[in-house]
Amino acid sequence: MTDDLKDGCTFSRGVHPPESKHLTEDRPIEPGPAVGELSILLSQHIGAPCQAAVKKGDLVQAGQKIGECQAFVCAPVHAPVAGKVKELALKPHPVLGRCQGITIEAQEPAPPSLPSFDLPADFDPARCKPDEICQAVREAGLVGMGGAGFPTSVKIQPDAKPPKHTLLVNGCECEPYITCDYRIMLEWTDQILAGVRLAQRACGASKVFIGIEDNKPKAIKAMSAAIARAGSAGDIRVVPLQTKYPQGGERQLINAAIGQTVPTGGIPPMIGVVVINVATAAAIADAVLCNRPLTHRVVTVTGEAIARPGNYYVPIGTPVEALIEFCGGVTEKSAKVVMGGPMMGLAIADLSTPITKTGGAVTVLTRHQIGQAKFERRQTACIRCGRCLEVCPENLNPTRIAHAVKSNLLDVAESHFIGACIECGCCSYVCPANIELTGYIKTGKIFLARQRKKMPA
Amino acid sequence: MLKDITVSFAPHISKPLSTRRVMIDVAVGLLPAMAAAGIYFRIHALLLIGTCVAWCAATEWVCNRIRRKPNSLGDFSAVVTGIILALSLPPGLPLWAAAIGSAVSIIVGKMAFGGLGANVFNPAMVGRAFLTASFGVMMTTWTVPASIDSGMPTLSAADVVDTRTQATPLAWSKTAIKDKDEAKTYSGRLLFSTVTGEVAGSLGETSAIAILLGGVYLLWRKTIGFHIPAAVLGSAFVAAAIAYLINADAYVQPFFHLTSGALLFGAFFIATDPVTAPLTRRGMWLFGIGVGTITMVIRILGEYPEGMMFAVLLMNAVTPLIDRLCKRIPAGGRPHA
Repeated sequence: MTDDLKDGCTFSRGVHPPESKHLTEDRPIEPGPAVGELSILLSQHIGAPCQAAVKKGDLVQAGQKIGECQAFVCAPVHAPVAGKVKELALKPHPVLGRCQGITIEAQEPAPPSLPSFDLPADFDPARCKPDEICQAVREAGLVGMGGAGFPTSVKIQPDAKPPKHTLLVNGCECEPYITCDYRIMLEWTDQILAGVRLAQRACGASKVFIGIEDNKPKAIKAMSAAIARAGSAGDIRVVPLQTKYPQGGERQLINAAIGQTVPTGGIPPMIGVVVINVATAAAIADAVLCNRPLTHRVVTVTGEAIARPGNYYVPIGTPVEALIEFCGGVTEKSAKVVMGGPMMGLAIADLSTPITKTGGAVTVLTRHQIGQAKFERRQTACIRCGRCLEVCPENLNPTRIAHAVKSNLLDVAESHFIGACIECGCCSYVCPANIELTGYIKTGKIFLARQRKKMPA
Repeated sequence: MLKDITVSFAPHISKPLSTRRVMIDVAVGLLPAMAAAGIYFRIHALLLIGTCVAWCAATEWVCNRIRRKPNSLGDFSAVVTGIILALSLPPGLPLWAAAIGSAVSIIVGKMAFGGLGANVFNPAMVGRAFLTASFGVMMTTWTVPASIDSGMPTLSAADVVDTRTQATPLAWSKTAIKDKDEAKTYSGRLLFSTVTGEVAGSLGETSAIAILLGGVYLLWRKTIGFHIPAAVLGSAFVAAAIAYLINADAYVQPFFHLTSGALLFGAFFIATDPVTAPLTRRGMWLFGIGVGTITMVIRILGEYPEGMMFAVLLMNAVTPLIDRLCKRIPAGGRPHA
């Protein structure tokens, strides 16, 4: 490891969960399973849900737009394969519970072929117009692929107020187990870089930083080499960051990489910063240079309960069930299926839940592992040890907020800034009394939203 | 394929750490002090510690039965309370008094509030305060360490009245304050003894070395933060130094105050009780400074030679206020809305 990697930048507080990335980090991206039926959810992003643009029985082409909406903060959805629309129905959604989805019966189920990306020899982002880049990104239905799913076109809007000075590319992947971004950084390096330069051109940022945790030295090396090859090392720089959870949270990343703080309740654009994930950057290159909509993504299927863990390139809409089966099924001891990583991922009850644009991993945990986890154990009284305060990356008082929610004192929870919680799970992770602090805080937020009549009861 | 899937909130993994582990750590941290007590006070130490631990545990069990609550002995907090109470008692205290103190600690100090985590006052200090108020003479009768009095090991706890007694270093300095002369010579001679522990005093408080050893262990295990001990000792040192600078003839030197009495033991093991101390770092500093300063005010100006117990109890009472005062502000500042 070189010297500049040793003292990587970082944010304050946070935790060091076991990384568990060894299961899949050396597995190259492979094509996923051939699936007969795909369910494309109409709400895979933050913002207004899409309206279906097709009817039952319609024939669709691969890449055809099947759902869209006119709202500004929205991203259309496309058919990953050619086939027939089987039904429009409520489908299980990892976050919302249930959501309208379009089921497509594939004409001839075949495993997806890995996309080829050849950087045009005369590629020069300066020749693309910012408006055109943004429009292409919107049409391709791009959303933040790191998890939040904010429509990318809105983020990289040209001429937005205030002007953007910095573009931060998030290659931290601080969640344990997940390795999809890592593999993309190793295998699709040039594509990511092309996407980063396009995004920079669109949003007009003068500085670009690619933040990567120092537990991925190969990725740091690969990205640095690509920058050197492209000859734009001057304005794009790789920033090695300390390996710590949640380094990849955008507020934490901004703090670690450029030392600025996003105001509470604010978003990065307010301080002139745009953050995009490396997978999103690769998708931007795909969308702008190859005119390919976002219909496939790399998913890490992992966990000690999976027989053949790996990184797979799969169409969006693939049911989790099919993925797990493709990976050799699960061992008998398996007990929990999580979409995402073990720190922030959502446990699903229905295995027909489809992969969405934001879901980078399926983690299957064993009975033993979840037996070790705190939520399985008897919750005891808070001894006010303050460990949750010590680890909270947002400097909140998790135990106070959680206990206020527990006692239904939402005003107290608000007075301790419940809204500033990023739900990273550090507090629950360390609590010696097995209190599900993050769970209480999430519940409190839902109660508050209902109180404000933003959400039906 | 998959039956019986668990669904819950994230995170789905946790750090292997439990309340029991935290309490056992504290008990391990107390081992050096218990060993020192064993060396200097022999059978008295073992009997007292055994009695207090057994009575605390038994009382907690009975309380849980009466309250129809699940048994909570597994968290070992009763054991820790018992050890801390025992180590804060005079070595020659009759066992029946220690048993009463233990029962009061658990019933009044802890279970009356709803058990672990809900108590306002440090349970061990509640028990000790009760004993001080009820059995004033016994609680201020200090047997000399066995290494000074060779007859000590053969004595049973019942022979307490006949045991050779000695004033504690702080009681000496108190008389010195009144007489305005003896302090300087006395503290010079005894400073070394207060570090090793070969002086009269409560079971666990005499040996500074043993307490520091346990304190360092707790700091290394991150069971306690350095804030409270640093604030207690720092503020006590400053207060003692001020007194010493005003009149070096009447007041003992500040280092002597740090090593004698319950100050060191309290700074590491009593004031750091997480349940009754503030949550935030700023709050911990305030709390610690309060404990240190009040202790010294009682020692220097008050009628009692020692004030650690009262200082901790007083500061426990204002802990909720400190918590309210030292609210945490989010990393991104206060929201504007």
